[in-house]
Amino acid sequence: MKQIFLVLKREYMVRVKKRSFLLATILTPLIFPALIATIYYFANRDNSEVQDVFVLDESGLFEGKLTSDSYNYTFLEGDKDEAKQRFQDEGAYGFLYVPGIDLTDAEKTSYDEFEFYSQTNLGITVEQAFERQLRKVLEDIKLDQSGLDPDVLNSLKANVDLDTFNLSESGEAQESNSGLSLAVGYIFGFLIYMFIFIYGSQIMQSVLDEKTSRIVEVIVSSVRPFQLMMGKVLGVGSVGFTQLIIWIVLMATLATVGFNLVGVPAEAMAENMPAEAMELTDTQEMAMNVQNMLSTLPITRIVVSFLFYFLGAYFLYGALYAAVGSAVDSLQDAQQFMFPIIIPLIVSIVALNIVIQDPDSSLAFWLSMIPFTSPVVMMGRIPFGVPLWELLLSMTLLIAGFVAMIWVAGRIYRVGILMYGVKVNWKTLKVWFTMKV
Amino acid sequence: MHDLSISLLSYKKPNLTNVNILEASQVSKSYAVHKALDNVSIAIPKQSIFGLLGPNGAGKTTLIRIINQIIMADEGEVLINGEKLNPKHIEIIGYLPEERGLYKKMKVGEQLMYLAQLKGLSSGEARKRIKHWLEKLGLTDWAGKKVEDLSKGMAQKIQFIATVMHEPELLILDEPFSGFDPVNANLIKDEIFELREKGATVIFSTHRMESVEQLCDDIAMINKSQKILDGTKKDIKNSYKSNKYQVDYKGAMKPLSPQFSILESNELEDNHTQALIQTNPGQNPNELLKELIEKTEVHGFTEVIPSINDIFIQIVEEGEDS
Repeated sequence: MKQIFLVLKREYMVRVKKRSFLLATILTPLIFPALIATIYYFANRDNSEVQDVFVLDESGLFEGKLTSDSYNYTFLEGDKDEAKQRFQDEGAYGFLYVPGIDLTDAEKTSYDEFEFYSQTNLGITVEQAFERQLRKVLEDIKLDQSGLDPDVLNSLKANVDLDTFNLSESGEAQESNSGLSLAVGYIFGFLIYMFIFIYGSQIMQSVLDEKTSRIVEVIVSSVRPFQLMMGKVLGVGSVGFTQLIIWIVLMATLATVGFNLVGVPAEAMAENMPAEAMELTDTQEMAMNVQNMLSTLPITRIVVSFLFYFLGAYFLYGALYAAVGSAVDSLQDAQQFMFPIIIPLIVSIVALNIVIQDPDSSLAFWLSMIPFTSPVVMMGRIPFGVPLWELLLSMTLLIAGFVAMIWVAGRIYRVGILMYGVKVNWKTLKVWFTMKV
Repeated sequence: MHDLSISLLSYKKPNLTNVNILEASQVSKSYAVHKALDNVSIAIPKQSIFGLLGPNGAGKTTLIRIINQIIMADEGEVLINGEKLNPKHIEIIGYLPEERGLYKKMKVGEQLMYLAQLKGLSSGEARKRIKHWLEKLGLTDWAGKKVEDLSKGMAQKIQFIATVMHEPELLILDEPFSGFDPVNANLIKDEIFELREKGATVIFSTHRMESVEQLCDDIAMINKSQKILDGTKKDIKNSYKSNKYQVDYKGAMKPLSPQFSILESNELEDNHTQALIQTNPGQNPNELLKELIEKTEVHGFTEVIPSINDIFIQIVEEGEDS
């Protein structure tokens, strides 16, 4: 135990004392909001640009009816080839060709004779926007022809907005917000994913450094290889944990400062009063709403589970990263073994996108049980509420999973660290695994 | 440069040699398909300098790793001070592996502190010893520098300090002089002798037999995973003496009596000749010398004693013939 602690202490101190650690720890909480703001800014800016679109309308149905903030429609005369030529010469954004359309046939509901030409491939949303516009014009004309009163039609529509509640075990109905659950689930799942990538490769690098600098044999003459590996995994993990805690504290501070700047009255925060009860500005109301929504989440369960899954995932993958580092002589050689480690991670993050849309699907259930994917996927489910037995089963399986992986990794590690210049493939790893040392 | 033979001659071996610090009996170790050690037994007397000799790949490093408890023997037993190998022996062994290095980004002082604590020293005691050793090897100013800023020679000294600072009873040096420049090699040799005077036992493991020949009291030779010879260096050399003498003479030499035969003869400068002469076993060198004085003008006369390397080659060849 003392030896593991000594190794842990070294790994921890070496990293925490680095300037890059300090920078990453302090800057990251600031970079993320900046990044989101930048993306938001550019996404909005693109929409405001007006593009030229030429239209050749042989049906005569659309003239004057196409309007848009984003597109400037110019109706052309002449035949299709001429119009196409002009579109190319003038370099307009797009050219829409509408052939003659017969709208008297009431049976016909599908129109696929439209053609659209553009300089670049249209994105799916742009394509859909054009389709919507054309459809609207056609529908209006057909509605007019049918003789139906538009008011009657409007009165037939029914907009539904579901107010969702979670019924807690005590029978108390609590308003839930699936949008917020979705965001929180994604953020925590993604955090685990990111941490495994960053700190997993740090473990691998650290093992590799000891191998290439040839200090490892000196160390293992004083420490059991397993102690060295565990000390390393725990040490690097503690660095990640430290960083995480600092981030949480920093962000909580920033948020509090942010709320105070906006000026939500303290008593409103404390008593959770509805925003309407007080005279608040728009921003204050928004801040209040965020706070109220946050209070609908099972915060304690999210935080406790996050810490658990964070550590569990880290041990499981960290051990595997250590084993890979021990097996190879350089980072390039490590690639072939990285693949099977990265695949379940990629699967987790891809599945997370699906799971947060439908947290009770059987895909979500099974992926949140398998130890390789459960940390990321379960974090996506928890904000929506997960039955306790599922959570406990998943946690138990994760513990079993990381204990097994540490055992496997340890057996490869103890042989690998003393092997220099050996061509390693999967068969070699199997031999090392079964080898008596 | 320091003359090693003098320090060897002036050194009187203490009378403790009945006690062995290490006894390995019938140790075997196999890797997947390869037998690395086959039934090897050695005994290492306390306070001796022991040469573990053999070509690359013979199994020396495997045996050393077993002693260091880095790997475990499949069969056989290793005793240290009469006790079965156990974790507490780690603290009494100092090991300088063949593949050795340091953490490049770590400061010298912190690195030594870490390695000392791993060997069980308290931080206070470690600090004292690090200071002592850095002073002794003239590296005090470098304690706060990172290893990557050190010259290769300095890094080697740091590695040596790391090996000995916990005052091990048993010092195991695997290919110690490979990579050391001659000045450092001599410095390290002196330190090793000093440690031995203070009671340490030293194992030199090397394939360059000539490099440790003059240092060792006892040796064991390993070839192809098996021990092929062991004993005190003196006994081994005596038993492989072949009654050959190298004679340097001037001018002509009259024919010798039949019990002496000239094996080789090389002409040197200034009318000198060097000849290798074989005598019968049991014959006194004086008899040959008497004969030579009558037959020629003798300028040099030496008994040819086989080097450890020659003995090794001879045993290996005999083994292959039979």
